[in-house]
Amino acid sequence: MNDNDSTVSRRSFLKSAGSATVVATAAGSVSGCLGGGGGGGSTLRYGRSSHSDTLDPQNTTSGEVAKVTNQIYDGLIDFQPGEATITESLATDWSMDGEEVTLQLREDAQFDDGTDFTADDFVATYRRFVDDEYEYHFEEASAYGPFTLGNWIDSVSADGDYTLNVTLTQPYAPFLRNLAMFAAVVLPQDGIEGDLDFNSDANGTGPFQLEELDDSNGRILLTPNDNYWGDGPNVDELLFIERGQNSTRTQALVEGELEIIDNLAPTNIESVEEEDGVAIESGQGINIGYMSFNMSRVEAFRDARVRQAISHAIDTESIVNEVYSGIAEQADQPCPPALFGHNDDLSPYAYDPEEAQSLLDETEYSDGFSFELTTFQNARGYNPAPLPTAETIRTNLEEIGIEVTIDERQFSDYLTYTSEGRHDASLAGWYTDNADPDNFYYVLLHPQVDSPDGQDWVDWGTEGFNTSNRSAWANQEYMDLVEEAQRTADEDERASIYAEAAQIAHDEAPWVYIDYADEIRGVRNNVSNYTVSAIGGPHLHLVDVE
Amino acid sequence: MISKRFVAKRLLLLGPVLFGVATVVFGILHLSPGDPAIAIAGDRASQEFIDQVRRDLGLDDPLWQQYLRFLRDTATLEFGQSYQVRRGTDVSAILADRLPITIELAILGQIAGLLFGLPLGILSAVKKDTLTDHFSRIGALTGISIPIYWSGPLLILLFAQILGVLPTSGRIGSSHFIDSRTGFILVDTLLAGDMAAFQSAVRHLFMPVVVLGVYSMAFISRMMRSSMLEVVRQDYMRTARAKGQGAKTTIMKHGLRNAFIPVITIIGIQFGSMLGGTVLTETVFEINGIGTLLVSAINQSDYPVVQATVLVFAFMYTLVNLFVDITYSILDPRIEQ
Repeated sequence: MNDNDSTVSRRSFLKSAGSATVVATAAGSVSGCLGGGGGGGSTLRYGRSSHSDTLDPQNTTSGEVAKVTNQIYDGLIDFQPGEATITESLATDWSMDGEEVTLQLREDAQFDDGTDFTADDFVATYRRFVDDEYEYHFEEASAYGPFTLGNWIDSVSADGDYTLNVTLTQPYAPFLRNLAMFAAVVLPQDGIEGDLDFNSDANGTGPFQLEELDDSNGRILLTPNDNYWGDGPNVDELLFIERGQNSTRTQALVEGELEIIDNLAPTNIESVEEEDGVAIESGQGINIGYMSFNMSRVEAFRDARVRQAISHAIDTESIVNEVYSGIAEQADQPCPPALFGHNDDLSPYAYDPEEAQSLLDETEYSDGFSFELTTFQNARGYNPAPLPTAETIRTNLEEIGIEVTIDERQFSDYLTYTSEGRHDASLAGWYTDNADPDNFYYVLLHPQVDSPDGQDWVDWGTEGFNTSNRSAWANQEYMDLVEEAQRTADEDERASIYAEAAQIAHDEAPWVYIDYADEIRGVRNNVSNYTVSAIGGPHLHLVDVE
Repeated sequence: MISKRFVAKRLLLLGPVLFGVATVVFGILHLSPGDPAIAIAGDRASQEFIDQVRRDLGLDDPLWQQYLRFLRDTATLEFGQSYQVRRGTDVSAILADRLPITIELAILGQIAGLLFGLPLGILSAVKKDTLTDHFSRIGALTGISIPIYWSGPLLILLFAQILGVLPTSGRIGSSHFIDSRTGFILVDTLLAGDMAAFQSAVRHLFMPVVVLGVYSMAFISRMMRSSMLEVVRQDYMRTARAKGQGAKTTIMKHGLRNAFIPVITIIGIQFGSMLGGTVLTETVFEINGIGTLLVSAINQSDYPVVQATVLVFAFMYTLVNLFVDITYSILDPRIEQ
């Protein structure tokens, strides 16, 4: 691959910005090769559906950005490849006692410009993200600022170079997993307080460093960070390439122009499976696709029997197997099976129009009613075919006398419409942020305001209402359990609390649970040690390319 | 000679045209559904966060205030920063990056259209009602009738998937990284002296240019044919032949110049349409010009990028038309009057 002037000047700039120690370390890295390696001229080309709109992990909620920034930056904590469990990264040990969290940090980590990583880097990172009194606070910080750290942290302080003390606003068990999220990766204090433009440049402690950002051609080239503290990378170059259309991305994989691709539609999976030299690799996803009932807007949905009737009337098995070509499994509760908060004793609502009709007959809606079902247009991982899903629902509900009108919207319009509570019902879905059950139970079904006496829903206009709860469901018993689980540190204990919450959410049916989609990748056969991860990563520094 | 007054008058007209376009695009954007604040904040944001984003962007101000601010910024070429497509980056920098890509594509498409369209039109006129003429007219009709979103995938199917001789998308192979000096990939690869990269760029641009070129060629050849037929019937052509001038010389010396006037108009209009055509071509061949930029910006409610991109399209269209008028009046000085 060709070097070029801009690349050289960027590297030169970063190197010259360092101190004498940097020079010494850089020299050391040349002779001793501290971890960063490379694999003898190999390039790993990763094809994806869209290019990064920034390189700043604090300026986005986009998973596409995270795929790249996770190669460049480390969090204090990471996710195990292919697992929903956490493991050490820049922090090697931690303890959580009520509201007090203490983290011991790695002493051998350096940024790619050679400066040492210390606790002050995390303090500056945190302050840039959420502290508007900090001189270098980032005004355009994403919603992950409060969501991940700001809402839960009371204070952060460095105790020497390698110990961090964090005081939380309340006992909050998911906090450690929040630290493993891509938005919480550690940025260099020098860069934050200096003039590093995180939007288009980078300086991290991760396995790779930025070599070239090529917006014109939708490419990002990374090379090994010689200062990396961990294993790998095993390739000399990692190239992210945008191939927007599923068919061209698949074609490029088949023809050997790419080594790994993601976001495959069912038809592309079939074409990959038919070809030699490429294979489909999949992993259990941590997501859910569902249909929400807006109880704040539609009176009929306030009756649990109506919701249960609709859940029985919709053939989710057929949606998963026929419409989604079997790349997902039927859902039965808010939390997917990959997480410890999933209740294994539950099963999906059986498709049973007769049972549905008899439940409906018990209510004042025995003659049916009508509602509008809002959906987004383009496929998303948890719903690879939104319109056919909506049409199946419409056909199914016709059988019990419920008339459905489909309201199809472009995604940003769909988000606006449903977050303002203007939908009757909506197809929706969620990818986990932190692989914690709380990220489903609390974020999606807790109203975050008090439940009014005698009713299990809240008005959409209630001040402070959590609009991610697209059903406006507010079951007090469920809310108490979810809050208790937040405060409980022991994972087994939390699991049993969530099992109860899952049972309530299943029985009360604030959603029609549709599917948990698998994570699917197309991979060439010359790639080894690649693990499909539903959270964190992709851990591309461990990958070999022959 | 073209007078400065004529050019100045036409340039002055640019102002009202762009003002009209700016107003329409502002109106359409703000009346269409979708809230940029929600699109920016994402589905993880609280209402409080969304409100803050809306305040920061001034989207909670009355519409007339936003409109005045937009006009003021546009007048001073301050297009602001992208909300989504390239977060926090100046829209002018994004356009500077993407515009050459589209212009290069449009110019190459136009050149291809002219190279084939002009001779085909002349040949068709000279050989009127022969087999050559029929084939040429059928070809032109086919070219006009096939939409880009159909011809593009058809070419991809043939050349990339069945024959496997051309790449499906992009402007250059993944292994070539070239310094962007002009933004035109063919020029940049040549300036870098990297022939492998140049060949790669040629292979990548072949299909998009053919798709654009065929569309343009069809129009040009049809207009050239009818214009030429009109001219060959003129008295001065007969006089030239009567004075002993050969057929070829008469056509090249007297016919072409006069037949060219209406064709120039078509070329101008075609170049404008071609800019529009690049939106489709770039989408089909996944080329990151301002066409795909506009599509992404619309999808993501990125107001500053949409507004600036549409204005640039309008500006270029108007400018091309001005050049057409100027060329027109050079070819026939009576037109200026």
